[in-house]
Amino acid sequence: MTAPIPTALRAGVRRGVVEFLNSLRSPTDVGFWIVGAIVTVVVLWFLRTDRIAELDITTAQFIFPGLLAVQLLIAATWGVGVMISTEREDGTLLRAKALPHGTLTYATGITMRSLLESAVAVALVLVPSLFLVGGLLDRGPVALAAVGILVLGFVALFPIGLAVGALSRNPRAVSGWGLLVGAAVVFASGIFVPLITFPEWAQVIGQLLPLYWLGLLLRSVLLPENLHVVEIGESWRTLEAFGVLGAWAVVGILIAPPLLRRMARRESGTSLERARQKALQRV
Amino acid sequence: MRHDDVILEASGLRMTYGETEVLRGVDLRAGRGEVVALLGPNGAGKTTTVEILEGFRAPSAGTVRVLGEDPLTAGEGWRAQVGVVLQSWRDHGGWRVRDLLDLVRRSYLPYGRDLYDVDALLDEVGLSTHAAARIRTLSGGQRRRLDVAIGIVGRPAVLFLDEPTAGFDPVARRDFHELVHRLADLADTTILLTTHDLGEAERLADRILILDGGVIVADGSPEALAREVAGSTEVRWVHDGERHVHATADATGFVRDLLARHPDGVEGLEIVRATLEDAYLAMVRRHENTELEGADR
Repeated sequence: MTAPIPTALRAGVRRGVVEFLNSLRSPTDVGFWIVGAIVTVVVLWFLRTDRIAELDITTAQFIFPGLLAVQLLIAATWGVGVMISTEREDGTLLRAKALPHGTLTYATGITMRSLLESAVAVALVLVPSLFLVGGLLDRGPVALAAVGILVLGFVALFPIGLAVGALSRNPRAVSGWGLLVGAAVVFASGIFVPLITFPEWAQVIGQLLPLYWLGLLLRSVLLPENLHVVEIGESWRTLEAFGVLGAWAVVGILIAPPLLRRMARRESGTSLERARQKALQRV
Repeated sequence: MRHDDVILEASGLRMTYGETEVLRGVDLRAGRGEVVALLGPNGAGKTTTVEILEGFRAPSAGTVRVLGEDPLTAGEGWRAQVGVVLQSWRDHGGWRVRDLLDLVRRSYLPYGRDLYDVDALLDEVGLSTHAAARIRTLSGGQRRRLDVAIGIVGRPAVLFLDEPTAGFDPVARRDFHELVHRLADLADTTILLTTHDLGEAERLADRILILDGGVIVADGSPEALAREVAGSTEVRWVHDGERHVHATADATGFVRDLLARHPDGVEGLEIVRATLEDAYLAMVRRHENTELEGADR
């Protein structure tokens, strides 16, 4: 006999891996990531010779850390929200709920799958860019810290996606509104335009968002050291960045389990049927 | 008598969604190894009842005991003894049949139950040749049999089947009935299934509960339910070119009188015994009528 919780976790890891491999066979899923990566790399390619004179780097170099952050936002937040709301609608979660520790297995599976997808999403932009765009790894070994920063970013961004999925059972709304809100968040976080050029109130909003701090941390290890001059306070604010991003992560880890339990509790065939009827009426 | 061992018990179940009362005081019980069909027209509250028993939703009022526990507060050990076959959805389409069944089986490993072997079970439900197929490529009947395999792989003490054959063609339906019979014979599994098909309830169940308008309107073995309406045996005949129909408890006596009253001859005499189908329709109709009277008051 084996212990219940470790068994559920192992089943969840297995579930996540199978789901990930299955999604690699889905033309829609694969197409989405490939097209995204191609567009990104093409943009970087065109900007590779476009120099920002006062900073003495290329525009491609300057926006590259932000692109990694955006890939993570798409995979770990938006993608997870869409995935969970879809699986609530199609009955996956209800089936999970019928099994002992099924919700735990399901949540572990989602985490595993999202982790793998996030890694692929980042690699899809990272690997071709390294070959096509110069100067991306000028910092040498320091750049390796980006891996750890991306992991922390995942821990901060993933629970937000989980919360979105737990609060909505309409995948079309999550997908559509998610892209709009996501684009607004990317803009407000100063990913492509430095926050320092924004009015002060907009800077306050930007600094509340986890994506700003993720972008800042990535820039601090991927851009030349002297570029902190275009950041707020003319500093990389490494400590604050880890503090705020870490706080998002801790809050996320704390609120995710009760949110998941609430979602699972509300799941039933009749609630599914009602949502389905509503979806059919809309069409 | 093994059926005396009560596995499943509910009393005074009520369920209200906003203004609508879906259940208005449902009582039911089932013993060990018993196959009970919850029969009723669409919208009668069958799924709601089953979901309360499964612990998927809380009733507005009433008490429930399944395997001696309240499904809402029972733990994972209880969950491991309860098999659930939901109404069909479209989940896990990208999974291979065997992979999903195997993953589900793993969830039951810690609970010390004598689990089915995945391949033996696939064989049992007739899906051996589809073990490597993606679930979205299965037909409706195959998909439903996989649902059942998922529901029983943990060898549950209680199995809930919600509308197991909805949308089946006749062959798939017959195969499925055979499968349920084998299950009921093989293990001491208590099975509660919902259906709106009377023939199905008759073929599968030891006992039929007819649910309509949120209450149980009849409870008994198929034979007992048919007997209950023996009073409505129909006598049909033609006299003077006119068709007559009369319902009576004593068909023999009525026919004797009839023939005596019309010595000049009665033609086309027919005596039709009420079937359980008539009983079902009569009960539902009677219930609907009282419903209407109640609404008028």
